[in-house]
Amino acid sequence: MDDQACPRCKTTKYRNPSLKLMVNVCGHALCESCVDLLFLKGSGSCPDCNVPLRRSNFRVQLFEDPMVEKEIDIRKRVLKDYNKKEEDFATLREYNDYLEEIETIIYNLTNNIDVVGTNKRIEQYKKDNKELIMKNKAKIGREEIELEEILEIEKQMEELRRAEIARMEQEAKKQKIREKEALIDELMFAEGDAKDILNTFAQTVASNKQEEVLPPVPKITQFSTGVKFTTRGLEQTPMVTIEEGPLYRYEAPPVPDRCGPDPPSLHEIMTQGYLRHVKAETETEKAGGYSSQLPCLRALQDALAGLYHAS
Amino acid sequence: MFSTSSQRKFWTFGDENELVCLREKHNLQFILKHGVHIDEYQRYNFFLTPDEERLLLKQYELHLKEFCKRFNPPMPKGVVGTAFHYFKRFYLYNSSMDYHPKEILATCVYLACKVEEFNVSIGQFVANIKGDREKASDIILNNELLLMQQLNYHLTIHNPFRPVEGFLIDIKTRCTLANPERLRGGIDEFLEKVFLTDACLLYAPSQIALAAVLHAASKEQENLDSYVTEMLFRDAGPDKLAILIEAVRKIRSMVKMVESPARERVRIIEKKLDRCRNQENNPDSEIYKRRMREALDEDDLPYTSSNNRMSLDTSGISQVSNS
Repeated sequence: MDDQACPRCKTTKYRNPSLKLMVNVCGHALCESCVDLLFLKGSGSCPDCNVPLRRSNFRVQLFEDPMVEKEIDIRKRVLKDYNKKEEDFATLREYNDYLEEIETIIYNLTNNIDVVGTNKRIEQYKKDNKELIMKNKAKIGREEIELEEILEIEKQMEELRRAEIARMEQEAKKQKIREKEALIDELMFAEGDAKDILNTFAQTVASNKQEEVLPPVPKITQFSTGVKFTTRGLEQTPMVTIEEGPLYRYEAPPVPDRCGPDPPSLHEIMTQGYLRHVKAETETEKAGGYSSQLPCLRALQDALAGLYHAS
Repeated sequence: MFSTSSQRKFWTFGDENELVCLREKHNLQFILKHGVHIDEYQRYNFFLTPDEERLLLKQYELHLKEFCKRFNPPMPKGVVGTAFHYFKRFYLYNSSMDYHPKEILATCVYLACKVEEFNVSIGQFVANIKGDREKASDIILNNELLLMQQLNYHLTIHNPFRPVEGFLIDIKTRCTLANPERLRGGIDEFLEKVFLTDACLLYAPSQIALAAVLHAASKEQENLDSYVTEMLFRDAGPDKLAILIEAVRKIRSMVKMVESPARERVRIIEKKLDRCRNQENNPDSEIYKRRMREALDEDDLPYTSSNNRMSLDTSGISQVSNS
C-alpha cells in the first residue's frame, strides 16, 4: 500500500501518512484533499474521464485496484434492478442463465464494452419486470431492516459487556490500593512485629485473589441460535400470565350407525348372564390384563351390526 | 364395525347383476385390448367368455378351499374367509386371462395370513405348495403388491365367524333352545359353502352368520324364527325384518345352488386359457422373463425410454396370436 498515490496531486502515502484515496462511480481515485478542492460545490467532473460526479458519492477506496471499486459500484446499481431470487425461476438452469446475464452486463459496464447497448438492455429489462422488481425490493428492504436490528442489538450487548469489565477492573485496582494503604497504616501504628503483619496481609491478599480468580464472565444473553434468553424480559415484567382457554373436557365420540339392533352394554353383559356362555379367563390371562367381557361384547356387536343392511 | 367399514362402502354390492356386469366389463376390456387383430368369430373361440371365466374361478375357489384345508400348520377359519374375499374382489376388477387364478390364489392366501395375523414365513408357506417352491415364492411375492393395489388396500375383512359366535352366545343367553352347541356342525358346513358363492360380496357378515345359524337350526328340526322376530327385530319394524328375511332366504338358496363345475369343461377352459392368457404376466413366458430382466436393467439405466415398453406390449400380442 506504500506506493499509493493520488493521480492528481501525486501525493503518496509515504509523504502524507494520513492520505486517504477516494473513489466514485467511474472508478478513478482521488485523494481526500483533492476531492475537497475539486468538489467544493458539491459536484464536478472526474479529472481522468470527465464523467460528471457528485461529491456525496465519493467513498474511501477499500481495494488497491480502483477497477474493483468501480465494479462494486456498478454491481450495486445493476443488482438493484436485477433482484430476482431463485424462487422466481422455474428451473435451476433458468436461474443460472439469469445470473450469467447479470455477470455479462457488469463485465461490459466495467470494461466499457458496448455501454450503450448494455444500458439499453437494462432499461428494457426494467420495463419488462417492473412489478417483480418492486416486489423484491420491498422484500429485500424488509430483510435488511431485520438484519440491522439484529446488528444493533449485538452492538448494545457488546458495549454493556465492555462497560461491565471496565467497571470490575476499576474496582479491583481500587481494592488493591486500599489494601496497600491499610498495610502501611498497620505498619505505622500497630504495636506488633512488622513481619507478622506482613504475613497476615499477604495471606488475606492471597485469599482475596482466589476469590477473584473467576474472571468477569461476559454475560451471555442469547442462545447460540440467536434466540434471546427470556430472563431479561422477566426482570422487566414481573410475570407473564398465560392465556388459558377453557379446560379440556372429554366427550364420548358419537356412536356410528350400527345398522342393526343395539347390542347389550358392558354392564348388561355382566349382569344378564351372557358371561356364563363364554370361556372365562384363566388366572394367567387375568394377570396379563385379559378379561372375557370385551371379547363377548365384541362378538355380540359383530353379530348385530349390519343386520339391517340393505342393498 | 361392518356398518362403517370399507367392506360395506366399496365391496358390498347391490345385487348379482352388478357383479356380473363388472366381470363382463373386464372380460371385454381384456379382449379388446389384446384381440384387436383377431376377427369377431375367432375372438370368441380364442378368448374365454365371461361364463367360462366364471366356471374357471369357481373351480379355483374349490382349489383355494382345499389348499387352506390341507395347509400345515392348520389355518384359522378367519384366514380362509379373508383369502376368499380377496380372491373374489380381485377378479371383480381383473380378468383371469390377465392374471392366472392359480397364482393369485396363493397370493391371496399368503396376504390373508399376514392380515389375519397368522404368522407363517414365506418359506413355511411355500412348503405347502407342490412343485418348484422357489418359483412359487417368487410369484407370490411379485404379485403381493399388485394384489393389494387391486384391492385398493382395503385389507380389513369382516368375516361371518365372529358374528356366529355372537349369535350363539345370544341364543344361549336369551333363548330356551336346548343345547345350541349342536348347531355348530351345520353352521360350519354352511359357512364353508357360503364362500363358494358371491354372498359375501352382497350381504353383511352378520346376515350370512344368521342365515347359517337358521339353516343349522332347521336342519336340527328347531325353529329360531321367534328369536329373530321377537328378540332381534323387536324394535326394528316390519320393513327391516322383511329385508332380512329376504336376505337370509337368498343366501340359503345361493348355498343350495352350489355345485362343483364339471371336470371335463374346466379342463378345456384351462387349455384355452394357456393359449390366450396375457403372456406378459406368465412367469414361464419369454416375454415375462425379458421384462423382468429389463426391469432389473432399468435400475442400472434410469433413462430407458418408455417406448420400449409399448413395443414390447404389441410384440407380446403378436406372439400370442401366432401360437
